[in-house]
Amino acid sequence: MIVGEQKPFDEIWEMVKGHRQLTVFGCNTCVAVCHQGGNKEAEILASLLRMRATQEGVTMDIVDGGIERQCEHPFFEAAQTLMEGSEAVLSLACGIGVQFIAGKYPSTPVYPALNTTFLGDVQAEGVFTEKCQACGDCVLGATGGVCPVSRCCKRLFNGPCGGSTDGKCEISKEIDCAWQLVVDRLEALGKLDDYEKIVPIKDWSKDRSGGPRRFRMEGF
Amino acid sequence: MQLVGIDPERLTFYNLSAAQGPRWAEICTEFTAKIYKLGPSPIWLALRRLEQSKISSVNHTA
Repeated sequence: MIVGEQKPFDEIWEMVKGHRQLTVFGCNTCVAVCHQGGNKEAEILASLLRMRATQEGVTMDIVDGGIERQCEHPFFEAAQTLMEGSEAVLSLACGIGVQFIAGKYPSTPVYPALNTTFLGDVQAEGVFTEKCQACGDCVLGATGGVCPVSRCCKRLFNGPCGGSTDGKCEISKEIDCAWQLVVDRLEALGKLDDYEKIVPIKDWSKDRSGGPRRFRMEGF
Repeated sequence: MQLVGIDPERLTFYNLSAAQGPRWAEICTEFTAKIYKLGPSPIWLALRRLEQSKISSVNHTA
């Protein structure tokens, strides 16, 4: 899922304080799982903004709402009246949702309440870790299900490097060496011979290097 | 709460069962005394300033 973190409150306030009406708009899927951008968080942020506006003597009508996903047209039907009546929108979605609103409502200013951080999993309650960089050419089949693109700090395809010590990366003792994980996993699978195979140079044109990507399903 | 300039001392969570009525009353009494000591909240003061400015604006117009 997409993981995000709420921006510092002062930064959010500086972006929106000039408006007389603001809709604080949650996105109830990915960023709701990490407790940063769901409808509940939108309600809390709207309350904080009301308190800030009151203290600053700013007259601002702040309403909150949200939908399941801010990245698909059909979900906006339920919020059509709310969005069309908004002077400005503070979106708690990831960067995709913010841009989707900007494209859908060309004359409505939209501001991001979150910093979109990574594609990750839920390791434990409240702990999210990066697992994918959407490189467009998945190699997990050859690396025992451990991604060297997102989990090796150097994105090495034939690791580990000399900075790997006791299974940890030289960047931080809290970061596992991805290539140690690859080796451990291949060993557990009885496929350690695969480690000897040299991985060829990756085609990065399928990553961001090839420009913004598009996927169109045939038959639609 | 600090984000919006409110003293976090103004909010406390307690974990009580429905059978702890006397303890609940005790907490309410203590907390009320604490809030009195802290004085009006900055939000209340800001709303009061806003009301007063509206009143003086109306009086000025009249």
